[in-house]
Amino acid sequence: MNEQFLKISDLTKVFGKQSNAFTAVDHIDLDVKEGELVTLLGPSGCGKTTTLRMIAGFHTPSSGHVYIDGVEMENIPPNKRPTAMVFQNYALFPHMSVKKNISYGLELRKLTKEQVDEQVTKMINTIGLSGLEGRQPRELSGGQQQRVSLARAMILEPKVLLFDEPLSNLDAKLRVSTRLEIRRIQQRAGITSVYVTHDQEEAMTISDRIVIMNKGLIQQVASPSEIYSHPINRFVAGFIGKVNFLDGIVEDIKDDKFVIKTHNRIITAPYWNKKINKDDRVLFVIRPESIIVKDAEKGDKKSLEATILDAVYFGSQMVYDIKLDDGKILSVEIADPQDNVKYSVGSKVSVAFKQKSLHVLPYEERGENE
Amino acid sequence: MSNKRSEAIGDLKKIAKEPFLLVSIIVIFYLLIVFVIFPIFQVFKTSLVYEGHFSFQNIKDVLSQPYYIKPLFNSLILGILVATIGTFFGFVFAYAITRTPMKGKGVFRLIATFPMVSPPFVVALACILLFGRAGLLGGWIGNIYGVTGLTIVEVIAYTPTAFLALVGILQAIDPALEEAGSDCGASRLRVFRTIILPLSTPGLVSAWLLVFIQSLADFGNPMILSGNFSVLSVQAYLQITGMYDLPRGATLAIMLLVPTVVAFYLQRYLLSKKSYVTVTGKPTASTIKNLEWYVKLPIYFFCFFFAFVVVLFYGMVVWGSFQKLWGVDSTFTFQNYIQMWNSGKEYIKDSLIIALIVTPITGILSMFIAYITTRKQFIGKNLMEISAMLTFAVPGTVVGIGYILAFNSPSILMPVTLTGSAAIIITLLIFRNLPVGIRNGIAALNQIDPSIEEASIDCGADSGTTFRKITLPMITPALFSSLANSFVRSMTAISAIIFVVSGKWNLITVAILGFVDNSQYAQAAAMSLLLVGIVVIALGVIQLITNTIGKGMNFSNIEK
Repeated sequence: MNEQFLKISDLTKVFGKQSNAFTAVDHIDLDVKEGELVTLLGPSGCGKTTTLRMIAGFHTPSSGHVYIDGVEMENIPPNKRPTAMVFQNYALFPHMSVKKNISYGLELRKLTKEQVDEQVTKMINTIGLSGLEGRQPRELSGGQQQRVSLARAMILEPKVLLFDEPLSNLDAKLRVSTRLEIRRIQQRAGITSVYVTHDQEEAMTISDRIVIMNKGLIQQVASPSEIYSHPINRFVAGFIGKVNFLDGIVEDIKDDKFVIKTHNRIITAPYWNKKINKDDRVLFVIRPESIIVKDAEKGDKKSLEATILDAVYFGSQMVYDIKLDDGKILSVEIADPQDNVKYSVGSKVSVAFKQKSLHVLPYEERGENE
Repeated sequence: MSNKRSEAIGDLKKIAKEPFLLVSIIVIFYLLIVFVIFPIFQVFKTSLVYEGHFSFQNIKDVLSQPYYIKPLFNSLILGILVATIGTFFGFVFAYAITRTPMKGKGVFRLIATFPMVSPPFVVALACILLFGRAGLLGGWIGNIYGVTGLTIVEVIAYTPTAFLALVGILQAIDPALEEAGSDCGASRLRVFRTIILPLSTPGLVSAWLLVFIQSLADFGNPMILSGNFSVLSVQAYLQITGMYDLPRGATLAIMLLVPTVVAFYLQRYLLSKKSYVTVTGKPTASTIKNLEWYVKLPIYFFCFFFAFVVVLFYGMVVWGSFQKLWGVDSTFTFQNYIQMWNSGKEYIKDSLIIALIVTPITGILSMFIAYITTRKQFIGKNLMEISAMLTFAVPGTVVGIGYILAFNSPSILMPVTLTGSAAIIITLLIFRNLPVGIRNGIAALNQIDPSIEEASIDCGADSGTTFRKITLPMITPALFSSLANSFVRSMTAISAIIFVVSGKWNLITVAILGFVDNSQYAQAAAMSLLLVGIVVIALGVIQLITNTIGKGMNFSNIEK
C-alpha cells in the first residue's frame, strides 16, 4: 500500500496583500495512505477548507506542493486533476435531471453512450437512487441531493475524493445515517478520501485518522481514539469532547508514572511525555466520564471534597457541575444513573479520578476557544 | 511578497492551460481597447492637441466664447430642472404603487414605464403636434422651442427611470417600520417625514443623478425642440457635421462628458455605500391601512395628472399619424403610412438587420464577460470590467464623435476604415449595449453559488464547456433581459448613431428625425408608431420565450 498516496508538503496559502495579509494555511505537511479516510477538523477559519480547495486545485498555493499518487499537481488545472469533490451545498446543476447530473463528467470523456448509461445505472443503484433518475434536483430531499452529489463525484473514479462539510445542510438525524453510509461506500470502494468538517462527533465516527487544525497549523494527526485519550495540547483536548483541566506540579517520575501534586492531593498518572520533567507545571486532562463521585464520608486521602452545584438528568446519564472546596468547578458525567446514587444540588460529596484515563499535558494558558 | 508573485504566476499558468479562456480574454481585451477606449481617447486627443502639440488652447477657446459657454449652462440648467421634477413624479408614482391601495396599479405602472421603450424623441414630436404652431393646444404654453418644451418632454421621457429606481427602494423598506412608527403614535405625515423620507434619501439622490445624466446625454429631444436654447449634445453634433470643426466638437463633447461621469460615479458611490434599506430577501407585503384623504388626494392627483399627460402625448402621435394634414385637414387617411413606407422601407430593413445582428452578439458577449469577471482570476480583470462598463456613463454624442474620429481612417488598432460600413454601426451598438447586459449577468451570477460551476470543473469540464453547459442555462433570464434591452436600444438609439450612419446604411430613428426636419410630422408619427410596434412585438416574443424556457427554471429551492 502506498503510504503517501496523497502527499501535502509545506503547503501555505496567504490571502490578501502585504499589510492585511492573512495566512489561512501555514506550512503544513500531511501524508494520506491509499484507501484511507482522513478528516480535517477544526473551528471555522482554521484553514481546513482552504487546504481541501488547494488539493482540488481551486486555490493556487502561495507555496508548497500537493502530490497525488506521486504526481506533482502544481501545473494541473482542477478539471484535469484526479480529484472529485462533494460540495457543502451539493452544487447540483439545477437545470439537469439526476441522471444528467451524474453522467455529466463521464460525457466529457470519450465514452460511448452505452458505456455512460451502464456506469450511470450502476452508480444509481449503488447509491440507492433508482427510480429518481428523471427528477430535477429541486424535487429531491436534502439527503437525496447529497447522494446525487456523492454519485457525481464517485462515478469519475477519482484517485482522491474530497468532502467539503457534506452533511452540514442536513438535519441531525439524517446526518447520522448519511455519515454511516458515506463511510460504508468509501470503504467498499477503497477510495482515498479527505473529509472536512467542524463537527467533532462526525470526525470521530467516520475517520481512519483525524487532522486537528487551528489557525492554519496542524495540531495533531492521529486516530480518533488516540486524539481523545492522548490529545497533544490544550487546544486538541478542549476541541474534542468535554474536558476538565486541573493545574498541577510534577513531584516525581517513577515506575512509569507521574506523581503530581494538585489541589493539595498527590495523584499518579500514566507517564507518556518525555518532555515533561520533575517540578514542571502541568495540566491534568480529565474527561467528565473519568470522574468518580461518592458520598462525602466514603472519601479517602486521594479524593477531593466537593459540593454538587448543579444536577441534570439526561436519561442515559447524569451530568453534574461539582464545586471543589477551593472553588474549582468540574463537569462530571455518570453513566447509568438508574444504577447509581443520584445526588441533589447542595450535597457534599467526595471526588476521585479513574487513574488509567488521566492524561497529563505541559502547562498552557487557557485558549480563546474554551 | 514573493508568495503573491508565485501565486499570480500559478493563476496565469492555470489560464494558459485553458487555451479557450486565454484566447477569449485576449480577444475581449482587444475589442474593448479598439471599440471603447480608443474612440474616447481620440476625443481627448482631438481636443487637447492644438497645432501639433499638447495644449488646452481648444478648451480655453471654447470657455472664452459665450457662444460655447451657453450650451454648457443650458445643459446643466435643463438637467437640474428635469432631474428635480422627474424625481418628484417618480417618487409620487413609486409611493402610490408601493404604499397606497390605488386601483389599477398595473395600468399605472405600464403608463409610467412606457416612455422607456419608445424612441426618445417621440415625446418631442407629440409636443409639437400638441403645443406647436399648428397644434391642438397651440400657444398654450408659449414657445415650445426652448427650455419650457424641453423640460416637459424630458420629464415625461425620463420620469420612468426615477420611478423604477425608487420603486425598488420603497419596496425594500419594511412596512413594519411604518407600523412601528404609527404604533408609537406618529401621524401618517409624521411617519412619512421621519421614517420613509430619511430611509429613501440615498435612493432619491441616486434617482435624481440618473435622470440628470440622461437629460445631459439626451440628443433626440433637443435636436427637435431646443430652438435658441442650445445644449451641449446638439452643439457638438452641429460643430462636427455642420461646420466640420472636429477640435471644437470634441471639446464640447468633453464638457458634456465630465459632468456626466462625475454624476455617474457619485450615483454608484451612493448606492455602494451601506444604505439603511432593510433588505430581508423576501418582499414584505405592505399592510395598507386606509389612508387619510389628505394623503391620498394629492398623490392620486399627481399620478392621474402624469398618466394623463403620457397618454395624451402618445395619443397625439397616433392621432396625428392618421390625419391628412395636421392642423389643417383632419381627414382620416392611411396616406402617411404609405408615404412613410415608400420613402422609409430601406431604413426599416437596415434597422432590423442591424438590430438582429447586434442583439445576439451583445447578449452572449455580455454574459460571457460577466462570467469571466465574476468567476475567473486573471491579471487585468478589474480593468476589463471597468472598460466594459465605461460606455454606460459616456453620453452617446461623445461615443459617436469618438467613433468617427477613430475609424475614419485605418490605424494600427483597426487596419481598415469602418466609416460608412454597417460594421461601425454594429460595433457601436454592441459596445454601447454591453454594460446593461453585463450588469444583468453579474446580478444573476451573484445569485448562483459558484460551487455549482466548480463542480462542473471538478468533473473535468473546462471553462468554455462550463460556461456553455452550466452557467448560461442558469442565467437564461438575465440573458433574455439583456437581449430585450439590446434590441430595444438598437432600434431606438439616436445620439451616437447619428454620427456613423451613411447613405448605404441608415436607421429608422434617423429617418424619423429627417421627417421632423422637413416638418413632415404625420409621416414621422407614422414611422414612430411602426417602430414602437416592432419593439413591443419583439419584447413580447422575447418575454414569451423566456417564460417557456424559464418554466421549471426557478432555482430558488436550491439551498445556498
